[in-house]
Amino acid sequence: MRMQPLSIGTALTVMALFTACGEPNSPGVEYMPDMYRSPSMEAYLDYGQDPFIFGDSLAEAQRERQSARLPVAGTVPFSMDPSKKEFNFPYPYPATPEGYEQAGLELKSPIAMTQQAVDQGKVIYTKFCLHCHGEKGEGDGAVVTNGKYSQPPSYTAALKDLPEGKIFHSLVYGKNVAMGSHAGQLDKEERWLVTRYVQYLQNGGKMDRAVTAPADSTAAPASAAPAVK
Amino acid sequence: MPRPTRISPRSTGLFHALFFLILIVFAGSVRAQSADAALYGAGEKIFKANCQSCHKPHVKQATGPALKDARARWEGQGDIYAWVRNSQTVVKSGNAYAQKLFGEWNQIMTPQALTNEEIDAVLYYADNFVPPAPKGGDQPTPVGAPAPEAPMWPWLIVVGLLLAVVTLSLGGVRKSLTSAVREAEGQRPIGDRTGLQRLYHWAGDNKIFASVIGLSLVTWFLVAAWYWALTIGVYGGDTVEHYKPEQPILFNHTLHAGKADKNNLAINCQYCHSSAEKSKHAGIPSANVCMNCHKAVAQGRSDAGTKEIQKIYAAVGWDPEKLAYTGKEDPIEWVKVHNLPDHAFFSHAQHVAVGKLECQECHGPIDEKMDVAEQWAPLTMGWCIQCHNEKDVKMAGNGYYDELMVRMEANEKLGHRELKEYLEDEKITVKELGGWECAKCHY
Repeated sequence: MRMQPLSIGTALTVMALFTACGEPNSPGVEYMPDMYRSPSMEAYLDYGQDPFIFGDSLAEAQRERQSARLPVAGTVPFSMDPSKKEFNFPYPYPATPEGYEQAGLELKSPIAMTQQAVDQGKVIYTKFCLHCHGEKGEGDGAVVTNGKYSQPPSYTAALKDLPEGKIFHSLVYGKNVAMGSHAGQLDKEERWLVTRYVQYLQNGGKMDRAVTAPADSTAAPASAAPAVK
Repeated sequence: MPRPTRISPRSTGLFHALFFLILIVFAGSVRAQSADAALYGAGEKIFKANCQSCHKPHVKQATGPALKDARARWEGQGDIYAWVRNSQTVVKSGNAYAQKLFGEWNQIMTPQALTNEEIDAVLYYADNFVPPAPKGGDQPTPVGAPAPEAPMWPWLIVVGLLLAVVTLSLGGVRKSLTSAVREAEGQRPIGDRTGLQRLYHWAGDNKIFASVIGLSLVTWFLVAAWYWALTIGVYGGDTVEHYKPEQPILFNHTLHAGKADKNNLAINCQYCHSSAEKSKHAGIPSANVCMNCHKAVAQGRSDAGTKEIQKIYAAVGWDPEKLAYTGKEDPIEWVKVHNLPDHAFFSHAQHVAVGKLECQECHGPIDEKMDVAEQWAPLTMGWCIQCHNEKDVKMAGNGYYDELMVRMEANEKLGHRELKEYLEDEKITVKELGGWECAKCHY
């Protein structure tokens, strides 16, 4: 029975190895840390070598850094594309009741009311508005019905004559407290496209003006044009 | 000291009288209630149509004050009817209370074209509002992880130790018995051999049996080691336990993104992960996206949920009492779930905007049964290229492939031959368009 202390020791070591992986927040082992971690700046940096096992100082330092940051103060998104020059200007109206009224009077959409704009707006509406405002804009989305959220006014009743400037203003700054600002999620072009779809809904789901261009189903949506490698 | 009153038989008459009095009062109130139920119903109807976007009857809403006791608050302050019909004229007329209200809320109340009777009904409804009883039966899943199961291994160790003790003692008994027998027969006792020496001698006596057992053991060990090695660094898929880190805020994906017919909110994935279509990363929503709704939603469906909402408020510095930001921010340290090594390139934009994949194809039933997000796919290279081999490219109406098709159709020699080869299985897979090229993902 000379082997016993050794085998017990081995069993304990193996057990310790397995329980070391039991830390629920540990992202686990990696073969070659220098190929796992980018030396360049990356969004959401914290994927360093597991600090739970190795206590690596670099990983701990990365863990402490904030990876989601605000843009530098005073910068605006800018496009060199001449067809998007309308969207380069900062939004001039302040987030006050007066700004809201003024935007309603002065602000006009740079995007024509076409079937294509409405189709693209519908895609955005489905992702960003439908869960509160409902499929037809009557304020019966799932957040309202299941979530007991305050009901937004209907596009076909209370908001039937809301001008496009006010719709856009509400997207930029939010409206009341129930609707927050959507400027962070939608760029200016997307906001104008969804405004066109809201106007389409205000009109009861039909085009109110002459359709200037037929729906071009093969064109890529202008809103979704990421650089593809 | 006053003596405690006693109920004597003589006082029963008084009790009867009291009882009847109570009965009459009660009946009267019931009758009054039924008469006012109509008013309450009418008020409720008008309230839901015109007021509930901004007001709640019993609690202060985000946009406007609670309507309960509004009439009492306006008592002696001015004309509440005029205020409801057009608040701005009252403000401009110089009414002090109206100006105070407007300054406090900084919201122009939408003018309401209502008659005095209708306003009376709404105010009656608000003053007597009874919150509806919560729906029974379909209680939503509570936020937070289920209670962890008690681990099995302490019991296994106890059982193992017991078995070992039993085996050793039995072995000891057997050994002493054998020794006693051998001693009685005049042979050499075997007690001086160790366990390993005995095994060695036994193997020498049964060579074939021992080698078969040994070989199977080695094979089994190698196979097990191979399969175990395949799970190193893999934290999703069918073979291993999914990586499911504990997050600083227990956000419930099922509640927010789940199907509407299961009493969930059915918010589109991309409402919060809005950069999935535009960027390499799907993005962890910044807390202001949470606040788009949670400015107005301070109560969760359970107390645990309410506690998690408080954590958002602490992070963005929001005072739910004053409905204002305090400026004291404390970023939320989310734990990254999907850790793709840097030597493999992956872009959400390509897969969502061009490939038109649904989120669930890689992230699993995150909107159905993942209260807490976990890594569903293994994220191994085999998993990536298997999909690239099988999936057909959705080319119809997808502007990203128009140029490719034009060129293939224009080139009658090479292009047409390639197109024919690709279409042998009636689809063009990602692999056929170069989806298996090394440098597609590793560069």
